[in-house]
Amino acid sequence: MASVFTAPPLADNGPGYSFKQTPTTHISADGTRQHSFYPYTDNGGSTLGISGADFTILAGDTRSTSGYNINSRYVPKLFKIGGEGPEHTGSSIVLSVVGFAADGDALKERLDTVVKMYKYQHGKNMSVAACAQRLSHILYNKRFFPYYVHAILGGLDEEGKGALYSYDPVGSYEREQCRAAGAAASLIMPFLDNQVNYKNQYIPASGYGHDLQPRKAELLPRNTVEELVRDAFDSAVERHIEVGDGLQMMIITKDGIEEVYSPLKKD
Amino acid sequence: MVGKDCVAIACDLRLGLQALTVSNNFPKIFSYGDVYLGLTGLATDVSTVADLFRYKVNMYRLREERQISPQTMANLVSSSLYERRFGPYFVSPVIAGINHTTGKPFICGFDSIGCIDFAKDFIVSGTASDQLFGTCEGLWEPDLGPEDLFETVSQALLNAVDRDALSGWGAHVYIIEKDKVTKRLLKGRQD
Amino acid sequence: MADRYSFSLTTFSPSGKLVQIEYALNAVNQGVTSLGIKATNGIVLATEKKSSSPLIDSQSSSKVSLITPNIGMVYSGMGPDYRILVDKARKVSHTGYKRIYNEYPPTRILVQDVARVMQEATQSGGVRPYGVSLLIAGWDDGIEPEAEAKDVDEPEAEKKLASGKTGGILKGGPSLYQVDPSGSYFPWKATAIGKSATSAKTFLEKRYTEGLELEDAIHIALLTLKETIEGEMNGETVEIGIVGPPEDRLLGYEGVEGAVGPRFRKLSPQEVEDYLTNL
Repeated sequence: MASVFTAPPLADNGPGYSFKQTPTTHISADGTRQHSFYPYTDNGGSTLGISGADFTILAGDTRSTSGYNINSRYVPKLFKIGGEGPEHTGSSIVLSVVGFAADGDALKERLDTVVKMYKYQHGKNMSVAACAQRLSHILYNKRFFPYYVHAILGGLDEEGKGALYSYDPVGSYEREQCRAAGAAASLIMPFLDNQVNYKNQYIPASGYGHDLQPRKAELLPRNTVEELVRDAFDSAVERHIEVGDGLQMMIITKDGIEEVYSPLKKD
Repeated sequence: MVGKDCVAIACDLRLGLQALTVSNNFPKIFSYGDVYLGLTGLATDVSTVADLFRYKVNMYRLREERQISPQTMANLVSSSLYERRFGPYFVSPVIAGINHTTGKPFICGFDSIGCIDFAKDFIVSGTASDQLFGTCEGLWEPDLGPEDLFETVSQALLNAVDRDALSGWGAHVYIIEKDKVTKRLLKGRQD
Repeated sequence: MADRYSFSLTTFSPSGKLVQIEYALNAVNQGVTSLGIKATNGIVLATEKKSSSPLIDSQSSSKVSLITPNIGMVYSGMGPDYRILVDKARKVSHTGYKRIYNEYPPTRILVQDVARVMQEATQSGGVRPYGVSLLIAGWDDGIEPEAEAKDVDEPEAEKKLASGKTGGILKGGPSLYQVDPSGSYFPWKATAIGKSATSAKTFLEKRYTEGLELEDAIHIALLTLKETIEGEMNGETVEIGIVGPPEDRLLGYEGVEGAVGPRFRKLSPQEVEDYLTNL
């Protein structure tokens, strides 16, 4: 088992791409053989979540890559959690996972099961806050063989406001206004800081020098957020090779989950 | 960043050794007459390369009795860096300027061995380049006037460096027009 | 001692002269006459191509040479020395300029580079000066935007100022230089070198006018040559190079946007014949 926890030998494998991560055998001078297998792959892609006054939007591209190869142009990263049947009827929570797709799938199945079991046992739907904490526990339970994913959970809180939780692979989590994750997170996040939380924006003529008043962040209307999401992904597609093909958006409102798919550049 | 009949070039002010901030007033933009050169990377090479081009451009100006054009400067930077192909300067330069013959704005970037990236819109470089790609790609639009270009380039830089632990501490922004250059000093987050 | 040190052959004489350079100039002054005339829209370089025997295949030797697409050169003096200088000029235009700036050197820069090569031969050990004088003609694009056509109702004085480019790096346009064995160089509107340089220059002084067009310049060049030429004048015995408008057809390819053809080209014997018949 120990070999599983050693970091991928970077010098041999480059930036964590899968195509060289085949099981390897190293024979040292004294003839001892060391077998190794790196159990993770980065499947690329990016996700993004923004919450509003009475809605939460989660989005993710649908490209799946390994190394420079494109596995598929339609592998969703967004999953409805706790719904009934193949259509996930009645679901009001969305999980987005980006990173290692197999772990993402496994995590989605675990959380879906947990939320369903909660409903069967308690006779009521699980709140997002509860679901969020449960997800943290699921992740931390595998602290020493983590799900290799950056998860974002979206829904509506008990007051009907948009709720968004973001996680690291081992379960640290935080409720936020907006969050980008995955391959192009570093591209999208500063853009969101600026356009959602109005970072580095000041009210013109509100003071001189240090007295200048920062522009206060407000909750954005739904169509503005949808536009921002598209802009963010169009930008990411332009500059990151692992992002592209299609954009899947899920908008959670009191009326349920609305799913929108729109194409992205496929190059 | 390119605008309508204008270009902008901007840099942050941090100088650091990994996580240790050594200086919070280390501009990375150098002017060579009509051409502006931004240099990120190893600080000693930034200074060396800036001085090397000071010498080369001064010699050019004396020999040819004219200012160097941005395009010529780009080729000079490229050939000078490629001269050190197997022992490169650890810098990734950016050039911005207006060509006074054509009146057209010009920008380009380089890798450390001189491969030129001619871009029509913007060039980014340094530790926050990922973040800058995101903000620039999101905020930039064609044919921005000088004031709008200043706002765009400043927002792109400030928000990008705020998401990079190795960048920040304020910024210098140059807006270059045909017959005017405006330099503004921005106060950013001091952390 | 003599085999251990090789002193420069060009050592000052007590009177302050470098006699080797004077001798080199003598070689030039025995050489076949060449001339150059600068027009507003180009330059012409012309020379006589003498053959010592009717059996010589005159098409396979050339005295007017292309250095860069926009710069050409002709000489009077020693042919072998000239060919060395052509090689060096072509080489230095790349190593000293194009490979650095990705553009060809302006005429003055190339002239200075060639002049340096010639000067070094007057101060180095074990060499003799080059036995040639050169005429170097080139066109520079200049860094100021092209002047727009002036309005008709402008004062006459201003019109004159704006007429045509006068050369130089700022304005661009044609420029014509002479380089001597000493390494000194001079910009000219029109000049001649070689055996009949003096009489040719006197002729040019009479014929040259400001605001000359390239076609006029070619005409004057041939008239001047006619005064000094010893043998018959025809397409085989007269060699002409011109710096004129860009000749995109000489690129050897088409369809590449922004590609500009060379300004310097040699006239074919047929073209020279045509000019001669119209003389």
